[in-house]
Amino acid sequence: MKKISLLLLLCVLFSVSAVLAQDVSITGQVTSAEDGTSLPGVSVQVKGSTRGTQTDASGNYQINAGSNAILVFSFVGLGAQEIRVGNQSIINVALTSDDRTLSEVVVTGYGTQSKRNLTGNIAKISGAEIENVPVTTFEQALQGRAAGVQITSLNGKLGQGMQMRIRGSSSVTASNEPLYVLDGIPLTSSDQGTSTAPQNPLADINFNDIESIDILKDASAAAIYGSRASNGVVLITTKKGKTGKTKFNASYQMGSSTPTRLRDWLNTEQYVELFSEAVNNSIALGNLPANYLTGSTYSRFTRYAAGDEEGWRNSKFDTDWQSEAFQKAPMGQFDLSASGGDARTRFFVSGQYLDQKGILISNTFKRLSGRVNLDHKATEKLSLGVNVNLARTENGRLSNDNAFSTPLQIVALPPMTPVIDPRTDQLSGNYTLYYNPLLNRDFSSNLSTSYRTIGNVYAEYKFANWLKFRSEWGTDLYNLNEDQYFGKETSRNTGAPNGQGFSSWAQITNYTTNNFFTMGTTLAEVHDIDATVGMTFQKSDATLNQVTGQEFPSNSYTKIISAARITAGSSSATNFSFLSYFARANYRFANKYLFSVSGRVDGSSRFGENNRYGFFPAASAGWLISDENFMKDIPSLSLLKLRASYGLTGNAEIGNFDSYGLYRGDAGYAGVPGQRPEQIENPDLRWEQTTQTDAGLEFGFFGGRISGEVDYYVKTTRDLLLNVNVPGTSGFRTQLRNVGNLENKGWEFVLNTENVTGAFTWNTTLNLAANRNKILNLDGQVIEGGFINRAVEGQPIGSFFSIEYAGVDPQNGDALYYVNEERPDGSLDRSTTNDPNVAQRTVIGNPNPTLIGGISNNFAYKGLELNFLFQGQYGNDIYNGGGKFQSANGDFFDNQTTDQLNRWRQPGDVTNVPQARLFGANGTAESSRYLQRGDYLRLKTATLSYTLPNTISSKIKMDRVRLYVTGQNLLTFTKYTGWDPEVNADYLAGNIGLGNDFYSAPQAKTIIVGINLGF
Amino acid sequence: MKHIVRNKFSLSLIAGMLSLAACTNQLNVEPVNTIDAGAAVATSGDVEALLVGAYDALGTTDVYGGNLQRDAELLGDNGEIFFDGTFVAPDEIFRKSMLVNNSQSSETWLDSYRTINIANNVLANLDVVTSGIRDRVEGEAKFIRGSLFFELVRVYGKAWGDGTPASNPGIPLILTPTTEITEEANVSRNSVAEVYAQAIQDLTDAEAKLPAANGFFATKAAAAGMLSRIYMMQERYADAANAATRVINSGRYSLVAAGDVFDLRVNQNGFNTAEDIFAIQITDQDGVNSLNTFYGAAEFGGRGDILIEDAHLDLYEADDLRGTLFYEGDNGGIYTSKWLNQYGNIKVMRLAEMYLTRAEANFRTNASVGASPAEDINLIRVRAGLAPVSAANLTLAGILSERRLELAFEGHLIHDLKRTKSNVGSLPYNSPKLIFPIPQREMDANANLQQNEGY
Repeated sequence: MKKISLLLLLCVLFSVSAVLAQDVSITGQVTSAEDGTSLPGVSVQVKGSTRGTQTDASGNYQINAGSNAILVFSFVGLGAQEIRVGNQSIINVALTSDDRTLSEVVVTGYGTQSKRNLTGNIAKISGAEIENVPVTTFEQALQGRAAGVQITSLNGKLGQGMQMRIRGSSSVTASNEPLYVLDGIPLTSSDQGTSTAPQNPLADINFNDIESIDILKDASAAAIYGSRASNGVVLITTKKGKTGKTKFNASYQMGSSTPTRLRDWLNTEQYVELFSEAVNNSIALGNLPANYLTGSTYSRFTRYAAGDEEGWRNSKFDTDWQSEAFQKAPMGQFDLSASGGDARTRFFVSGQYLDQKGILISNTFKRLSGRVNLDHKATEKLSLGVNVNLARTENGRLSNDNAFSTPLQIVALPPMTPVIDPRTDQLSGNYTLYYNPLLNRDFSSNLSTSYRTIGNVYAEYKFANWLKFRSEWGTDLYNLNEDQYFGKETSRNTGAPNGQGFSSWAQITNYTTNNFFTMGTTLAEVHDIDATVGMTFQKSDATLNQVTGQEFPSNSYTKIISAARITAGSSSATNFSFLSYFARANYRFANKYLFSVSGRVDGSSRFGENNRYGFFPAASAGWLISDENFMKDIPSLSLLKLRASYGLTGNAEIGNFDSYGLYRGDAGYAGVPGQRPEQIENPDLRWEQTTQTDAGLEFGFFGGRISGEVDYYVKTTRDLLLNVNVPGTSGFRTQLRNVGNLENKGWEFVLNTENVTGAFTWNTTLNLAANRNKILNLDGQVIEGGFINRAVEGQPIGSFFSIEYAGVDPQNGDALYYVNEERPDGSLDRSTTNDPNVAQRTVIGNPNPTLIGGISNNFAYKGLELNFLFQGQYGNDIYNGGGKFQSANGDFFDNQTTDQLNRWRQPGDVTNVPQARLFGANGTAESSRYLQRGDYLRLKTATLSYTLPNTISSKIKMDRVRLYVTGQNLLTFTKYTGWDPEVNADYLAGNIGLGNDFYSAPQAKTIIVGINLGF
Repeated sequence: MKHIVRNKFSLSLIAGMLSLAACTNQLNVEPVNTIDAGAAVATSGDVEALLVGAYDALGTTDVYGGNLQRDAELLGDNGEIFFDGTFVAPDEIFRKSMLVNNSQSSETWLDSYRTINIANNVLANLDVVTSGIRDRVEGEAKFIRGSLFFELVRVYGKAWGDGTPASNPGIPLILTPTTEITEEANVSRNSVAEVYAQAIQDLTDAEAKLPAANGFFATKAAAAGMLSRIYMMQERYADAANAATRVINSGRYSLVAAGDVFDLRVNQNGFNTAEDIFAIQITDQDGVNSLNTFYGAAEFGGRGDILIEDAHLDLYEADDLRGTLFYEGDNGGIYTSKWLNQYGNIKVMRLAEMYLTRAEANFRTNASVGASPAEDINLIRVRAGLAPVSAANLTLAGILSERRLELAFEGHLIHDLKRTKSNVGSLPYNSPKLIFPIPQREMDANANLQQNEGY
């Protein structure tokens, strides 16, 4: 019934508009005065009437009006213009921006759209917001700025991989990272290095080149990316030249970093006290021989004290090992750009040099980047251009968090061990409890250098005002060289007595072409139609070569050419391709009723012969309620828009050959070639499918001084790609299958307010998002990660699943655990046991925050500006996998955190730290003992800047002089007692491995000063 | 339309686009590093390569690459060594307090069955093997499979002498290759007796079909030697003595000088001595000597995790050359020299064991198959620089002690203790703590498995 009445309404409106169409037809194009680009979605109204239209995707419009009529051109964020028609039939208009510039145009896949007309959910962050934030990669700069986007640095190592989750995790086994697209070209964004600590290829991007970042979150926005869109899509658009005189921008910033927090460790006296007690307790329990303290233990202490008994008896040596893991961390960054152009050709060129030292010893990051963006209008119809980015990034890397050689594992060394062995005047070496990571600082190097070329050429041909064709050909060439040398001093760690060298080259070549038509027209003044249809093809080839050599004549020789023995070498390759067709149509009726449909057919080499192509459709609608006549009486209301979308996206981010039954020829033995079965075939393997429903309300009051949006979404993923555990007796461990489903549900809230306007301004931007991830069905599979993470049906992904610590028995100091066995009536047995094998595992925590958000405040008075961004998350837990070593009440000789001094000592003691027992395993089982709340609120970025008044800057021939101070991670509010609540141990990080801490370095607290010069 | 037809530029663009669209075959991307399973085993050479793959799997650290042997010593130890390392799994084994999720329990299980599956693939494709070598290939695959059934059943099941082998749960017997995962993959445990019977059958077939000489791969003697171990576990002493005699009488192996038994070089590729019956081959290119990893000091490429305590060192008589097979590491700890060379081979079986086995078996049955117990024992003693012991003074305890000293840290300890029903510290030989748990991941993946007592 509804359908019919709508149809009827359409017919009526058609005929009405036909009647009105007696006046002159006026056409024209609306462009931005700023840079000459066309503006789609500009409202064109006949003043004093209800007649109006909008510009199409190319900024063109057509309207009928009498010669006395006045046309009003308006666009959110731009100053409106009124033009009398007179005898003109072509009226071209250039709108100038008010202070919000073009932020109201959002980039969609294969096009742009005005925010007003958008029926999907896209979060936009302008490049200006993240400019000059003192971090190495743009994702870090985005933290806290977009609703529903959770970004986590794994640890405080520079250049390290990141995790980004847009509206939660939608997969258990396939990637949960979004698709990154830079100027239309999908980027290589996943780790390509050989270390288990992921390296971030996106760190090659100089984010001062970025004009805007648009994050496609709902199905309507993302479905145009089909099988690659389930995790959201991040569209990065780089800066374009602007018509006018050539403008130069130079900036320099310098500063330094320190760890956000340090932990407290035992000193020598405390260490000797605790461990002597631990030994005595174990002797008393009959677990160690009676002379173990005075014999084995004291000789061990003396050994650790470089053979000097005084070292531990009188604290002659009392080393603060933690401080040795850190270094002075200065940074400097220089940026230079020029942009300009004439009516036909515009350009933007930029260069950057960043040189930063990390807070951890030997951790460095250098980036040299250059960009040229060129746009040329060959004829009225043909325009073409090129974007090229060259970058070289050199990252001094560290071992993963699980390695003895990673700097922070140094805290395990007993405090009575001196840094320098007085017997040799060298760094303490083989006699230490564990390998001394300082040896790596002095006698090894680990450099990852990437050479990156990201570029594309395009041509756009305008067949008619309503039709154009665009072809883009792009490439992302990523070359990664890892070069490592470990001197003979590190042999305890490498196992190579006379040095070890490693070199690898990875080359990932990514070709993409996008070819599409864009159409846009207005029919009978009230029907606005835009459409996009096209195809895209991507092919990616990757090759990896690596070689390992040992036996070097001396540390002066570090390349493998000097290795007397080549111990390993290999070359390998892999590839994948996607062939896709896409289409999208937007329809607006009377400028108030918005409809959009899109779809993509995706084919991928990654999937089984039986399921090679998939179709991903989406539909959405919007209603601009505030434009209805009945709402015009509410003057305080400037915008009220209701929108809803529904659609299907996919996730194809699995291995390239996961559907095949495979044999591998790497099973040679003692020089005789061999092969082995590697993988069981699954020809039915297909995409994960995510259906997403989104409903949103956008609002604005008081001429936009208060604006915002609220969204609610439900994202259901089915056919989960699961590495299903199969019985190991089959000879295989897992098989990738489409099994099970999960759900993400949540709401997002964005509020922008202009609290004070005038000479002094105060603006606030708040975003909050709550997401609840729930695994609905895994077909009984147990999928584990991290230390105790698990995918459990009915629980959020990566839930901590282990036994529950019940504290300490006040009578005997035993660590206790809840039995938690389910009784026949379904209740849990809450009695306690000291045997961790008796205690049943249960869900003890959730690594996913239930609430994330950010709030940014901006104060400005004349040239003075203060901006601070708080970012935080709430409701997540962190598991410290290092707890069983660091805070183990003297279970082994690792130095302990000072809280272990609160151990149980005598009957009646009430404490959470069990009795100290050397080798006693008293409370060291993985359990909730090492689980803590991970909530935090952090002053992420604070900037105070001063722009010199024009009168002064012009005297020194400058357009603009700005001085600023920025602090990153200045304050952190958390109850987590580890180093830093923003953590996920690098070698465990994954879909399931979430919220783990394992000697993971804290984030850096950075303070910089900088200057921008415009001339 | 006129525009389109007239404009060469746009024509070429569209032509390009259409031609690309036609390139659907661009989606047929072939794997590069791997090959399709269907094409992998077509020729005799393919099956032989697969057989090599089975050795490669057999030699991984979690199987004969060292962890099986390491864990037998850790689990059987009572104060002669000390596990000083940080790895949780071996530490739990050393402390006799394994948790159900002990990762070594899981890895030993998974990698052993992976090896068994490769052997099963070889056995299922014997028809394409050149007839001249078919027996050898079959014998090698059965040697590998039978040996692993035996290793697994003594790790995950009760000892033969503990209760009723016919009803004690052993491990699942898998005799066919896996081509797809179906409900049938959810296998149950066969009884201990069934597993022993299958292992004996595999190894008996292997002994019959293997050649006497086969490079460093399995030989007739290796199969016979493995059988002697099984018979000892079953207290079938006459059979054990006969099997050991077949190895000794093959004439292919000989005892080497005391200083040459173990590879005391450093960082050089391993080799087999005349005494080695079967050894995992390690080179600096391929394979990891996990015994070096755990027993070797840091300066020799190890983790230095297993320290030798005085309680062990005190067992050697003053002149015992084997008592010199120890060194002090840079960190002050005492280590065994047996696994000094990180690229040295891992001796799974050597001739000395056969003499010790035959001596014990003959002694227990009061027989002299091949030689008298004293003759066999004295071969070992004299080589170690010790005085021979007279037949009259020879005791079972003496034979067992000789065996312990000769084969220390080679992976025999817990099995010898179990078959002789000896305590491990305060734990009786049949304590559930001395049996690995069925891995938690396997219990979770297969509902038909029964967990061991105590887990």
